Amino acid sequence: MSIGGEIDQIKTRVVGIDIREVRTTIAVVNIRGEIIGQDYFRTSDYPVVADYVIALSERVIALVEECGGFESIRSVGISAPSANYLTGCIENAANMPWKGVIPLATMLQDRLGIAVVLANDAHITAMSEKTYGSARGMKDFVVVSISHGGLGSCIFTNGLPHLGFNGFAGEVGHTCVEVNGRQCGCGRRGCLETYVSDKGLVKTVEELLAESKEPSLLSSCETIDIKTVVECCDKGDKVAIEAFNKVGTMLGVGLANYASVLNPESIILTGDMMQAGKWLLRPMRAAFDEHVFRNIRGKVRILVSILKEGERDVLGASALAWDAKEYSLFK
Amino acid sequence: MEEQVIKDRVVGIDISNTLTTYAIVDVRGNIYAEESFDTSLYPDVNDFVAVLAEKIVTLVEANGGYETIRSIGMSAPSANSISGYIENAANLPWKGFVPLAVMLQERIGLAVGLSNDAHVSAMGEYAFGSAHGMKDFIVVSLGTGIGSCFYSDRREHVGHLGFAGEFGHTCVEDHGRSCGCGRQGCLETYVGAKGIVKTAKELMEASDAPSLMRQLEKLSPRTIAECCDQGDEMAIEVFRRTGYMLGIGLANYASIVDPEAIILTGGIAQAGKWLVEPARESFEEHVFNNLRGKVKIIVSRMDNRERDVLGASALAWSVPEYSLFK
Repeated sequence: MSIGGEIDQIKTRVVGIDIREVRTTIAVVNIRGEIIGQDYFRTSDYPVVADYVIALSERVIALVEECGGFESIRSVGISAPSANYLTGCIENAANMPWKGVIPLATMLQDRLGIAVVLANDAHITAMSEKTYGSARGMKDFVVVSISHGGLGSCIFTNGLPHLGFNGFAGEVGHTCVEVNGRQCGCGRRGCLETYVSDKGLVKTVEELLAESKEPSLLSSCETIDIKTVVECCDKGDKVAIEAFNKVGTMLGVGLANYASVLNPESIILTGDMMQAGKWLLRPMRAAFDEHVFRNIRGKVRILVSILKEGERDVLGASALAWDAKEYSLFK
Repeated sequence: MEEQVIKDRVVGIDISNTLTTYAIVDVRGNIYAEESFDTSLYPDVNDFVAVLAEKIVTLVEANGGYETIRSIGMSAPSANSISGYIENAANLPWKGFVPLAVMLQERIGLAVGLSNDAHVSAMGEYAFGSAHGMKDFIVVSLGTGIGSCFYSDRREHVGHLGFAGEFGHTCVEDHGRSCGCGRQGCLETYVGAKGIVKTAKELMEASDAPSLMRQLEKLSPRTIAECCDQGDEMAIEVFRRTGYMLGIGLANYASIVDPEAIILTGGIAQAGKWLVEPARESFEEHVFNNLRGKVKIIVSRMDNRERDVLGASALAWSVPEYSLFK
């Protein structure tokens, strides 16, 4: 604020950072969600988090200098797996190289001298859909992301994210859909994620191939992943189609229970699994309609995200950055 | 200009299938006067509203007058706080869509808020009960039906159309027991009153073992719990199975919502440890790791009828003030 001087200026840009197991993406984004400049580097090159923060801050500074300087930057938003918005820490991330509780927001804020906020990838994805995507204008909705071997989600209630008491809300992937079902990485059995994820799909394909006497194109595939199973579906392979039928049905049951409790306006699906398109979505919709409580049957829109996979999370991180209380060493 | 006087009382109304209770309640939840009548005497909703309005007027006149009443809050099954209607209530005598809040407001001349029993229960617990001071929590009512409501950062989650919380109709067993809602395997078919009785009958049929339950004239969650108190093994097994299913349902709910506490209310919660102990064990087994040991499971300490009247009074404070009486 200038006292007795000119009119105050607002800062019209933020930095969005999307941290994933393999790659970190940085972008300078303006108030309208236009990406002004973008950069990325390998996360896995930095097994020590202190080194990672140094490298990250150097990259951010270089990018910001290219895109108009720090005077134009209001704040920084970060998306990371297992991040907790309430504490600003990454907490015991299963797949990241850094173990334990890491106060990443504070560490980066100390280096950059501007406000930094942090949230987990599911929360960020939902922020992105709310600000720039399919959930624009909605108050009560759920965003479900199926990718990187997991199934995460974020709930919005009355226009705001529901974070929960500890900041752990939304673990729909670890709701039990089959008592004594498949073994999950979390130590329990029958979690939705063991059926509806890339790993779950592979397991379903293996089971079907072991049971089935019919020849399948999948038997001759070197690697089985979402892409190869979809290709086999497109060629009319029965086992591949049945695999997505099973995965889609489980997803439909899980989403129906979720919707019966939450009564959302819409459920927005994102993540790698969406490349399966109709092979997944048709059986999902049938199971959803069969299992959802009658008073909301036909009243929940199930949508697939319209945002690009590569952009969604940096845009979401930038949307989160606007939530931060402004603080800057640069005038 | 005179000093403005604030109105420090409201009327809370709890409508259930059998009984309608109404009370005058102050800011602190003190009940000044309370009366009730039989809901089923009025199969026509117009008659019901006329009688309800008359009775409230009489009670209010006898207890401080209209000038002291700020507004009215009402709890009813299948009520929708967004529309102000009772919508297709399965067990009430009035069918279809009933604009009860507007009907009563027109007769009484005071603002009326309406919400369903599960949400009002949660408001009661939040304002005057076990959830006081909590931001994120779930209130589950266990009775004939299983209802619920959760609070997110101090506010109730009602959902897009006001239908949120249908926890009793989440599927816990694919192709399981048939539910009144037309589907199969709903939690309510195991944990609701009828579900518990069904489990008891199944167990009695499956063996010849002696059980006090065999001598009961009427099987109900209450009488089965009484058998448990007398050490009846089979009755204890009934609640162990019920608790196991409830624990799975609550664990899935908690994994999604991450509540500070889950508060159990309603008649079936009165079974106490026979239900809660197996439910907690199953809950800890099925909840996501990061919440294990962190969620309190509490049985409400409020009396059921008191909770809903007090909850309705809390709802009354949340509607904008409007009065024909100055």
